[in-house]
Amino acid sequence: VGADGSCAIVGGGLAGFIAFATLRHGGLDAGEIAVFDTDPDPVAAWRPRAEAIRQRRMRSESDGHCNPRSFPGLAPREMLREGTLRPLLETACNRYRPTVEVFLRHVEELRETCGWDQSVRQHRAVRVRAADRGFEIDGEGRFSHVLLAPGHPGLAVPQELASDPRTVHAYAPHDYAERVVVVGAGMAAATVWLNALADGSEVVSVRRRPPLRRPLNVPRPLFSRRGLAGFHAAGRVERAALLADLGEPSYPPGREWDEPLELAEREGRFRVAESVDGEAQIVCATGFRRGYDHDPLLRALVEEHGLETQGHWIVLAADATVPGLTDGTRTLAVSGAPAQWAYPAADTLVGMKYVARGFLRKVKACRTR
Amino acid sequence: MSYTLSGRLQSRLAAVALPFLVACVVAVVLRQWWPVELAGAMVGVGLALDLAYHHALPYQPGWAAVPLGLLELGLTMGLVRLLDVAAPLEPALWFFAGSWLLAQILAHAGFPLLRLSYAEDGGELGDAGAALLLAAPATVLVVLGTAAATLPPTVVLGAGVHRGPIVIDHSQNLVGEPGAVVEGGIVITADDVTVRDLAVVGGEYGIEVQEAENVLLEDVSISGATLDGVHARRSSLTIRRCEVRMSGRYTQGIDISFAFDLPLSKVTDCRVIGGQEGIVSHMAHVDFHENRVRNTTLRAIAVTEMSMGSVRENVVEDAVGVGIYCGDYSHCDVTENAVRDTRPDLSSSDRGRQGHAIVSHFGARAEVDDNVLERNASDLHAYSDGRIRVR
Repeated sequence: VGADGSCAIVGGGLAGFIAFATLRHGGLDAGEIAVFDTDPDPVAAWRPRAEAIRQRRMRSESDGHCNPRSFPGLAPREMLREGTLRPLLETACNRYRPTVEVFLRHVEELRETCGWDQSVRQHRAVRVRAADRGFEIDGEGRFSHVLLAPGHPGLAVPQELASDPRTVHAYAPHDYAERVVVVGAGMAAATVWLNALADGSEVVSVRRRPPLRRPLNVPRPLFSRRGLAGFHAAGRVERAALLADLGEPSYPPGREWDEPLELAEREGRFRVAESVDGEAQIVCATGFRRGYDHDPLLRALVEEHGLETQGHWIVLAADATVPGLTDGTRTLAVSGAPAQWAYPAADTLVGMKYVARGFLRKVKACRTR
Repeated sequence: MSYTLSGRLQSRLAAVALPFLVACVVAVVLRQWWPVELAGAMVGVGLALDLAYHHALPYQPGWAAVPLGLLELGLTMGLVRLLDVAAPLEPALWFFAGSWLLAQILAHAGFPLLRLSYAEDGGELGDAGAALLLAAPATVLVVLGTAAATLPPTVVLGAGVHRGPIVIDHSQNLVGEPGAVVEGGIVITADDVTVRDLAVVGGEYGIEVQEAENVLLEDVSISGATLDGVHARRSSLTIRRCEVRMSGRYTQGIDISFAFDLPLSKVTDCRVIGGQEGIVSHMAHVDFHENRVRNTTLRAIAVTEMSMGSVRENVVEDAVGVGIYCGDYSHCDVTENAVRDTRPDLSSSDRGRQGHAIVSHFGARAEVDDNVLERNASDLHAYSDGRIRVR
């Protein structure tokens, strides 16, 4: 590792893990890939957040897994394991949501078989610089192909609540007070509403606008070339506006969400308010900070190399590579939420695979390999 | 999945490649074109619908494959009927169902396994898919060219009287324009012959078929023959939508005989009026269904001399002696027929000719089920070791 043709993945979360599995599927040895992260567990960041909001099921569907191939997805695997057709029928109707337990088990199995641990270097990469036919990563060596998967750049908390001692972020461990304000209107907020109600709390939902109800983060056509063609053809301003629109909080439609809320509303235990009042606890289900400028590594990359940006986004090619730093001999790609400029659902597992496959294509097409 | 238009077409073509190949092989084995025509209809309907789906379905959930499959099945079978493709219903349904199932397996498992980015590419298959799009028109041209080169020539007889007998000794289609009449009969001695839309008048035999297979007589009317309306020996044929009028004392409407080792012969949707016997087989494998036979003087429908026959949904009226006859060690399935007004043969002392609706004679086995027998002198009669079993 570290010679011409070698690969590095900066960030060992799910995006990095998926990229690694895809490279391995594409024929690269584990020894040809270096993964930089302080924690070798690919769900080290994701798992505590899921636990904090007591997430039971994934928002993603059968293809929300980390295997390079989309088939077999989690539904057919569960069908075989459980000996029932139910997961398959549910996935045919877009009603299959794997449990968090199923997903974590799948990650663990894949981690054991793909050689992940032997490639992880427990080092937090803070700087990536273009070099001759590759990139220097801190003092760790030079790599021809680098995928940046830094993850979310921290939790977002409204400025006016940041110093309030009652405030806790939804993704931080917490219990519920007797009366709870939940700020936000996305999937995490909806999950917190139900959790707090289940704990017997009274819930006040504070939000700027009524929540959107979308099965997935973005409309389904945007997951494939059908929707992406128009997205990629859009001008920068238009694309940024669309991304901002898609970034509005949403959660899936369904009785499992509506019925408990309607019941609580009738009992006077759930209401909507415009602002925080004197409640004992404020749970901010306001997601993550957005934009490359919140991530030290990406910000430094942009500043040092004069990369093009639009709003909070680094301008990327359609395959999520950085145009000015990618050519026939080297590749720099971005995965996860910062890759939304190339793929609006880049922060989903399917989006991470989209980037990983594009990265693999670049690596395999490279003349130095 | 959100297909691109190109992805839909590529996936469609890739999924039908194997069924189309199978259809070609079956066509070669059967020496018939209907498998290829059926596959072509299925592919054509599918591709046409893909254009409509593209606008109507920006996203297609998995369950939609079932209603869309039924829609495609309905349109395919409609097109098959419209184009008059001679595809038997049951094999056609199985072919469609198998093709549909294969397409589902490929779309959900096969293609994603073969191509990592299948779903995100909207069903497109890369270079292979593009090659398919190019190869498809070429394949169509090859198939059409083969069809043009191998299909029997078609001879059209114009309106008016054509002096017979016409002898057909090589594969061909003989088609009449409205008002076309052949006087003196037609003789067929070659395989793969179709005679359609013709009136045949006179001759000993209206249409004689000798040692020929895959013969189709369709929409023909026969009258004035002095022996048989249709006389088939050592042959396998299908007679569909015919009218046979016989008047002589010893004449027979349709006689298919001595073909036990040949493929099944069928007579369907025919009207046979008069003559000694209406439709008869001797030592043959036959299926007589949905015919109307009346005014015969010996037997209306007869399956005899070690024949195996299915006699289904026929209407037999005003027969003298016997309505439906299963004789001489034959095995007959007599189901859902209507036999009415069978009268005794007053000129005969034979007890087997006393106006029986259904007769089994001399070691024959007749399975009868759900027949309507009305105003006959007698309904069922078995004798000389003939047996009738009512299901």
